[in-house]
Amino acid sequence: MTLTLCLLVGAVLFGIGLYGAFSQTNLVMIMMGVEVMLGAAMLNLVAFWRFLHPQAFSGQMFVLIVMTVMALEAAVGFGLATARFRAKGSVEMEEAAELKG
Amino acid sequence: MTALLFVLLLLIGAYVVTVIERWAVTGRIDPVAPLAGALALLATESIVPRRPDRTLFDAAPVLMLISAVLAAAVLPLTSSGIVVDLATGGLFVNAALVYIMVALVMAGWGADGAYAMVGGWSFLGQLIAYSMLIVMPIAAVAMRAQSLSTVAIVQSQASVWNVITQPLGFVLFVLAAMGASFLPPFDLPNATALAMGVAGEYTGVRLAVFRLGRLVLVVTLATAITVFFLGGWLGPLLPGWVWTPVKTLVVAATLLAGGRYVPRLRQEHLLQWSWKLGIPLALTNIAWVGVTLLAVR
Amino acid sequence: MGQPIAVGFFGVVAIWFAITVFRTSSMVRSALALLAVMVALGGIFLALEAEFLGVLQLMMMASEMTIMAIFMVMYMMDPGGLGQMEMTHQKRSAGLVGALGALGGVTLAVFVAWGGGATVPTPTGQLRLLGLEIMGRSMLIFETAGVTILVAMIAATAVAIARWR
Repeated sequence: MTLTLCLLVGAVLFGIGLYGAFSQTNLVMIMMGVEVMLGAAMLNLVAFWRFLHPQAFSGQMFVLIVMTVMALEAAVGFGLATARFRAKGSVEMEEAAELKG
Repeated sequence: MTALLFVLLLLIGAYVVTVIERWAVTGRIDPVAPLAGALALLATESIVPRRPDRTLFDAAPVLMLISAVLAAAVLPLTSSGIVVDLATGGLFVNAALVYIMVALVMAGWGADGAYAMVGGWSFLGQLIAYSMLIVMPIAAVAMRAQSLSTVAIVQSQASVWNVITQPLGFVLFVLAAMGASFLPPFDLPNATALAMGVAGEYTGVRLAVFRLGRLVLVVTLATAITVFFLGGWLGPLLPGWVWTPVKTLVVAATLLAGGRYVPRLRQEHLLQWSWKLGIPLALTNIAWVGVTLLAVR
Repeated sequence: MGQPIAVGFFGVVAIWFAITVFRTSSMVRSALALLAVMVALGGIFLALEAEFLGVLQLMMMASEMTIMAIFMVMYMMDPGGLGQMEMTHQKRSAGLVGALGALGGVTLAVFVAWGGGATVPTPTGQLRLLGLEIMGRSMLIFETAGVTILVAMIAATAVAIARWR
């Protein structure tokens, strides 16, 4: 029963993150939506590890990798945002249409 | 150890650290001054800036006090005198200390003032400098103890203290602890040059809580240095529960008094020194500890 | 009995703050609300007896979200949120996609017979087994991740440098 509860919370968080990543115009806010989605994925991973395979620690290893990748993707994203801000003066994704069409 | 005894010990420790800090600044030992100062602060009118972010402004001093107390809760007084003996105690101390930074950023942003904001963000820059230098010596100490539990770390120093086998880690951890509690020479967030920085917009009760949080933070960091490097409650003649406070107070006095003779470092120099010199030294420390542990076997 | 209650409480807190992230107009509050989501997730990890992961989550996400806060203040037009600007686009299709994603997850959660209820090692034992796992079976993954992280750090710094000499 607790497993279903965890998976429900993870599913709702994933939906909220997906909404945020699609609806926001600013790069930093889109990245926040992606962070929420990754957090929901980590919650599902830990719930599956705890209730289905508590003896297999590759589940915890996976969570470590996802946590590290979260931090890393934020770092690279902020580097890109810095470069974009210096070139164009804003990080609004609505204005980033140079490669369109 | 009951929660009441723990809180009492923290308050007594904060009181003594205030007396020591006053001695370090003015050169006189004045045992009544903290009580008089606290009562005067509580009687002061509580002024709120013009357009603050109320939630952040009110929550910041409380968060600072709570995270310092949480970090102290996993540090032992004696082998059974610990509030909660987490299996990942060393990591939990670090986790609770990071929320000090969150509290200072909230205080700096919530006060709606330029100098407070500069103080808050500059503490974030300091965190980038000192956070690795806190974690890596803890990792080296945990390598010797083969456990992250703080009780096990103290018990592993029964033969010889960690300050003798890991001097490099000790020096880096003391410097990082001074940075983490923004003592001089790392006290840009709180400096008179910035109109008292983050603490400048607080008055009355909130300033009292902020200052109490900072003192409890100094006590917590001094206890952490004692537990990780100076052998905790181990010592020849006196019982264990006397040794820990004695060592903690000696460390706190050194932290408070030692930094005042060094001029304040600029942010960019602090970051340069920390990343170009400090982190390679911390990694060398971990390698050195690993080599010695394998060679002793 | 305490475990479902703790998980439910932290789950509700996480969902509420996740909604706050995208509804508030103050940027710093948005970043701190995201921190609150991550803290609630850390609380759920601790309730699920994954102690090391919970403490690690609490530690890493605090510094990460504060750094996100300073980048928001740097790059967004109205960090205090006092201007009431509209910051979203294609709200209806975004809401539809989000609802579909959540619905898919909920269906999987409720209608699959997962089984479960096995015994968990103690926290000290977990630490030791995790360490053995990292250094033994998952060593290649660990080393590759380390090199990838280093490359990404250097690349992000190189992208952000203002002027090449």
